[in-house]
Amino acid sequence: MSLPAPEPGRPQERIFWRQVWILYLREMRAAFREKTIVLNSILIPIFLYPFLMWAVFTGFTFVMGQTQGFASRVLVTDWPANHPKLRLNFLRDDQIQLLDTPTAPTAITDKIKRGQLDAWLEFLPADQTNAALPGNFQVRISYDQSKDRSAEARGRLADAIDQYRRDWLKRDARRRGIDEAHWQGLALSARNVASNKEMGAFIMGMLAPVIFVVMVAIGCLNPAVDATAGERERSTWETLMSTAASRLSVATAKYLYVASLGSLAGILNLSAVILTAKPIFGPLFEKAGRTLDYTIPLPALPLALVAGLLLAGFVAAGMMIFAAFARTFKEGQSMITPFYMLVLVPVIFLQSPGLQFSLPLALVPIVNLTLMIREVLTGTFHWALIAVSFTVSLVLIALCLRFAAYVLQFEDVLTGSYAGSFTTFLKERVLRSRTDHFPRAAKG
Amino acid sequence: MESKDLNLARPDAKPKAATTPTMPTVVVNNLTKIFYDESRGALRAVDGIDFECHPGRIFGLLGANGAGKTTTLRMLATILKPTSGTARLMDHDVTSEPDAVRANLGFSSSTTALYPRLTARETLEFFARINGVPEAKVPGRVRQLVDRFGLGDYADTRVDRLSQGMKQKVSIARTVAHDPPVLIFDEPTVGLDVLNALEMQKVLGEFRAEGKTIIFSTHIMSEAERLCDRIAIIHKGKIHASESLANLRAATSLHYLEDIFVHYVQHSSVASGVSPAVEPGILPGGTSP
Repeated sequence: MSLPAPEPGRPQERIFWRQVWILYLREMRAAFREKTIVLNSILIPIFLYPFLMWAVFTGFTFVMGQTQGFASRVLVTDWPANHPKLRLNFLRDDQIQLLDTPTAPTAITDKIKRGQLDAWLEFLPADQTNAALPGNFQVRISYDQSKDRSAEARGRLADAIDQYRRDWLKRDARRRGIDEAHWQGLALSARNVASNKEMGAFIMGMLAPVIFVVMVAIGCLNPAVDATAGERERSTWETLMSTAASRLSVATAKYLYVASLGSLAGILNLSAVILTAKPIFGPLFEKAGRTLDYTIPLPALPLALVAGLLLAGFVAAGMMIFAAFARTFKEGQSMITPFYMLVLVPVIFLQSPGLQFSLPLALVPIVNLTLMIREVLTGTFHWALIAVSFTVSLVLIALCLRFAAYVLQFEDVLTGSYAGSFTTFLKERVLRSRTDHFPRAAKG
Repeated sequence: MESKDLNLARPDAKPKAATTPTMPTVVVNNLTKIFYDESRGALRAVDGIDFECHPGRIFGLLGANGAGKTTTLRMLATILKPTSGTARLMDHDVTSEPDAVRANLGFSSSTTALYPRLTARETLEFFARINGVPEAKVPGRVRQLVDRFGLGDYADTRVDRLSQGMKQKVSIARTVAHDPPVLIFDEPTVGLDVLNALEMQKVLGEFRAEGKTIIFSTHIMSEAERLCDRIAIIHKGKIHASESLANLRAATSLHYLEDIFVHYVQHSSVASGVSPAVEPGILPGGTSP
C-alpha cells in the first residue's frame, strides 16, 4: 500500500537499540508497579482463569446433579392392557413421578409449557402403523426441549421404555426357543480408541487456545493504553518527546513493552491452564468412568511460545495504532474496544468441532495461530501450515508497525492535538490522501 | 558543576560546536509555525520570529496566553516541526538533526511531568541514560544531582508520594541530568507557591552562573524583570521587541515592564490596523491594563 506523505522535510528516523533498551526497562519497571497491569497481565492469567474454570465446571456438575436429582413429573394416558409390567416398572422408578390428572390434550401441553408437568406419555393403538404388532403399542412422548427438566424427563421415559422393550423381546425370544444372538441378528458396540492421554490432549486443544487469545488481548490492552494515552494523561508524553531518544526508538520500546506483557499474559495463562486442568476436569472424567491424563508434546512448547509472541506482536501493534489517537486513558480504552472485539471474533469459530487447520485458515490472522496451538497440543504437527501461519503473522506485524510508524509521523497525532479517532484519520489522511494540511492547533 | 566534562556519547550526535561566551548557542531565523484549525482555518501561531541566545545569559520570552511562547519553545525542543524558517541549537538544526538538538537540551514545562511510579533516583538515572550519559558515569552523576538538589532523604521515594516542592526539585534535576548546555523552561513557576517559585528563580540564576544558555518563558512581569538578561516581547506570534530591560526602558521611556509590555502590544495593534485599545485580558496573566 502506498501511503500519502505526512509532511515534507522530515528527517529519516533511526532506531538506537541502547535507547530502546533503556526505555523498555523503564516501561516494564513502571508497569510492574501499576496495580491494573499486574492484575490483568499476571495475576488474572495465573489465578483467575483456572479458578473461573473450576467454578464453572463445579457449578455445571452441581446443576447436572440437581437436574438428575429431580423426579420427572409424567402424565401417562391409555396404559396398554397387555403390558402391566411396564406400569409396574414406572411405579418402581424413583426418578419418575406419575401424575393422575387427566385433562384435555391442549391443557396438558400448556402445563408442559408452563413447567407444571415435565412430559406426557401417550400409548397409542398398535393398528395405526405397521411398526407394532396387534396387542402391542406405540408410544409418543410430548415434552418441551427448551426446559432442562422436561428434556431430562423425555430421556428417562425413552430409556425406561426401551429397556422394557429389550427385556420383553428377550423373554419372548427365549419362550420361542431363539437365543439372543439369533433374535438380535447383529450386534452394535462402540469403542473409544483414544487413550486417556489423547482425550486429555483433545480437551486441552479445545480449551487452551480460546483462553489464550482472550488472555493475550487482555494482557495487551492496559499496557497499550498506558503507553500512549496514559502518558498523555499524566503529562509525561512531552517529557519523553523532549529527551534525546529518537521517535522510532520510543515507538519501538513501547511496542516491545506492550507485546511483552501480552505474550507474558498468554504464556502464563497457558501454563496455568495446563497445570490446573487435571484437578479441575479430572472429576468430570471420573464420572464418565475415565481418567484425565495428558502430556504436552515437547515440540509443542517452543511452538506455543513463538505463537504467543507472534499473537501478542500483532495484537500489540493493532492496539497501539488505535490508542495512539487517544488523549486520556478512558478515551484509549474506548478506542481500543472495537479492535479488541475483532481479535476475539475468530475465537467463536474455534468452537466448531469440524474446523481443521488447512491452508486457507493458515492465511487468516489469529485463527491460524490458535488452530496451530490446538493442533500441536494434541501432538499433530503440520509443519508447512505452521510455517505459513508464522510467515503470515510476521508479515502482518510488519505491516502494522509500518502503519504505526506512518501514523506517528503526523505531528498532531504524535503530540496528541489531533482531535479525531483512527477511523477519522483514515478518512482524512489516508483515503482522501489529504497532504495539504497543517498540524492541528495545539496550546501555545 | 563537576560534570561539565560529561561525554554525551550519543550514537549519532555530532561533536558540539566550539562556542565562546560571545557566540550564540541558539540562533532562530524567521521561524514560523502554522496550525490548521477546523473552524478557523490556518493559524500562524508563530510568525517569522528571529532571536539569538548566548551562554551564561537568560533569554526571556514574555507574552500573554496564546502569544506563541510555548509553540516557539516546543519548536526549539523539536517537539513541533517549524512550518518555515530555521532554528539552530549548539549548531544543530532542529528540523534535520532533532535527536542531536535534544541531546544538548534540557526542556521543562508545566506539561513535562515526572513518571509517578519511578523513585526520584530511578527518574534521574533514566533521564541521564536516555539523554546519552555513558553508563559508567550515571551513578556518579545521579549522586551529584541528589546532593545538589537536596534529594537525599527522598531519593528512594516514589515520585507520586513526593510533595509538590520535592517534585519540582526532581523535575529540575531530571532536566539537567545530562548536563545540557542549553536549558528551556516554559513557564516554570506556574502552579508553584511563592517559596517554590523563588527557589526556582534561584536555581535559574545558578544555572546562568554556570554558563548555561537559558530560554525562559513567562507571563509574570516581576520574574522577567528579576531574571532575564534579554527580554523578547511576543504577541500574536511576532516578537515586537528583544532587548535588555535597560534598553527597553530607554526605548520606551517607561520604567515598569508592565507598561513597556502594554506599549509594544498597543503598538503592534496599531501597526496591524487593529484598534489600539488593549483588549481585556491581553496583559500577561490576564490582568487588566
